[in-house]
Amino acid sequence: METGFGLKIREKRKALGLTQAELAKQVGISTSYFNLIERGKRSIGGALLIRIARALDLDPATLDDAADRRLMNEVTELAGEPLLAALGLQAATVPALVGRHPGWAQALALLHRECRDRGEVIAALSDRLRQDPFLSDIVHRMLTTIAGIRSTAEILESVDDLDAGHSRRFRSTLVSESTRLSDAAQALADFLDRAEAPKQAITPAEEVDDFILASNAHFPTLEEGADRLRRRIGADQAGGAVKLTTVLESGDVAAAPRQRRGRGAPQPAPEDVTDPALEEGAPAPSRRFALACRVVARELAEPIRALIDAAPSLASPAARTRAEGVLASYAAAALLFPYEPFREDAERLRYDIGLMRRKYLASVEQICQRYVSLRRPGAEGVPFGMLRADPAGNLSKPFPLPRLPMPRHGSACSLWAVYRAFQTPGAIVRQLAETPSGDRVLFVAQTVGKGVDSFAVPPRHLSIALVCDVQFADRVVYGDGLDLSPRARADAVGVSCRVCPRERCPHRVADPIVPA
Amino acid sequence: MATRLLIAEDEPSILESLVFILGREGYDIATARDGDDALSQLRTAPATDLLILDIMLPRRNGFEVLKAVRAEPALSGLPVLMLTAKGQARDRQMAEQMGADAFIAKPFSNQDVVRAVRGLAAP
Repeated sequence: METGFGLKIREKRKALGLTQAELAKQVGISTSYFNLIERGKRSIGGALLIRIARALDLDPATLDDAADRRLMNEVTELAGEPLLAALGLQAATVPALVGRHPGWAQALALLHRECRDRGEVIAALSDRLRQDPFLSDIVHRMLTTIAGIRSTAEILESVDDLDAGHSRRFRSTLVSESTRLSDAAQALADFLDRAEAPKQAITPAEEVDDFILASNAHFPTLEEGADRLRRRIGADQAGGAVKLTTVLESGDVAAAPRQRRGRGAPQPAPEDVTDPALEEGAPAPSRRFALACRVVARELAEPIRALIDAAPSLASPAARTRAEGVLASYAAAALLFPYEPFREDAERLRYDIGLMRRKYLASVEQICQRYVSLRRPGAEGVPFGMLRADPAGNLSKPFPLPRLPMPRHGSACSLWAVYRAFQTPGAIVRQLAETPSGDRVLFVAQTVGKGVDSFAVPPRHLSIALVCDVQFADRVVYGDGLDLSPRARADAVGVSCRVCPRERCPHRVADPIVPA
Repeated sequence: MATRLLIAEDEPSILESLVFILGREGYDIATARDGDDALSQLRTAPATDLLILDIMLPRRNGFEVLKAVRAEPALSGLPVLMLTAKGQARDRQMAEQMGADAFIAKPFSNQDVVRAVRGLAAP
């Protein structure tokens, strides 16, 4: 698929009166490679992106390929809305729209998101009206009381020869039933007053997802903060691991052995132990990570706060609180798995999750999450996307690849290895997959059990998947032994049925909304 | 012998109105304040010609009474007029499936009640 990104480069190049050959030479690549980039056949980032942006006198941020692809995906979804079907919008023209009029495309995507979210709120509210037991009870009470009042009033009005006894009783009924009706109406008004406000148009989780995407899952200030903290603790020197453990267990940075200055054994942390990951006997990686979160939440509160304050996408207080937790987790990972050594180990061990777990005493999810964050310009790891699924198919923690968007709502394509992994719990599942646009990716998925192993509280099983463009597969142990040649058979997957053009796919569960 | 009605309704104000207006029409009226009471009166008291049955009754609700009535050979042919509440379409649908003969939605007009009762059992 042509991208708005390539289009932007071409338009700007032409505006400057440069040929492909001239510009390619200027940035130090071949003309044919540059041609591929302009046609959207190659995804670039890092130093090359910056060189091209400079040569064209553009802000590198405006050439963000990933952001364009996300936007295109959203506009494409909109093009397939049943409401707009009669307009015959062509998915093929979306890249041109995004490339030439990014502002309008963004406006459409935002309105579409808003519109769909409102639809969900309305559905939730109407469900509530239909099913709320209090409402149906109070409506029944009101109708019953009104029935009594009406019938009694009609008798008083229409019966001329009413005897004194009946007349008195019916009038007193009117008074008592009117009082009951007022009480019921008041109870209804109170209920409506108390009814919680409709949920946020965009959920806090989505706001945070957007924030992570906009930051490319990498936070330099937290990496630096974590590195400084490690130096303060002395964790980067000989015996550093012991010092780090001491600090984590005590929750006190000053408790590192080197700096104890005779204050005796470290005191237990003052916080209440409410996090189950901190309980005695919790799995060691979870406990260590939770302890690290506690330390960084205090020691790196400032850079965390600064990132949140600078993020326009974190509008709601709930999203900001959530982002705080996510960033503390990020900083904890940066503290426990320091960027440079971790990246070097990962490259050397070819991203073998099991070996990295052993080396860093970490969980599958922690290692995968850290892989995704290896995006320091000039020192990138393999660019991985990630996602997590529960057995019901719900996705969480999605981090897409430029060529593999992830659905914002509902579940993904059922063929993705992230779901297949549930068939073989605990085992690594590899998958060479091809998207409808012909891009090939390598999925690696594995299920993990979370929570305490107790009969009373069933463990929570999640499938965690990494995904990378097939061009990086040779750096990853999971590509070994797979035929990765362009002619090799790959699973024909989509993103989700609604946006998938594979009309005859036997796994389809919903009609496509995108014209093929 | 006058036509005999049994009104099963727990709301005193509605019950009193119904007794009054239908009494003026010349019906012989018995009342029940809950579902159990209604059923036992139907089984023991002199033959009833029409049952006026509220849905939200204590002890045994209108649906249960209706089901029991339709299941007993001696009572299965008894005409039943159900009192439903406006907007409770599901209640009405269910009563219909269970064999109610007619419906009156609350809040009703006295005229409607008289007309419906006359349609099922002349005084």
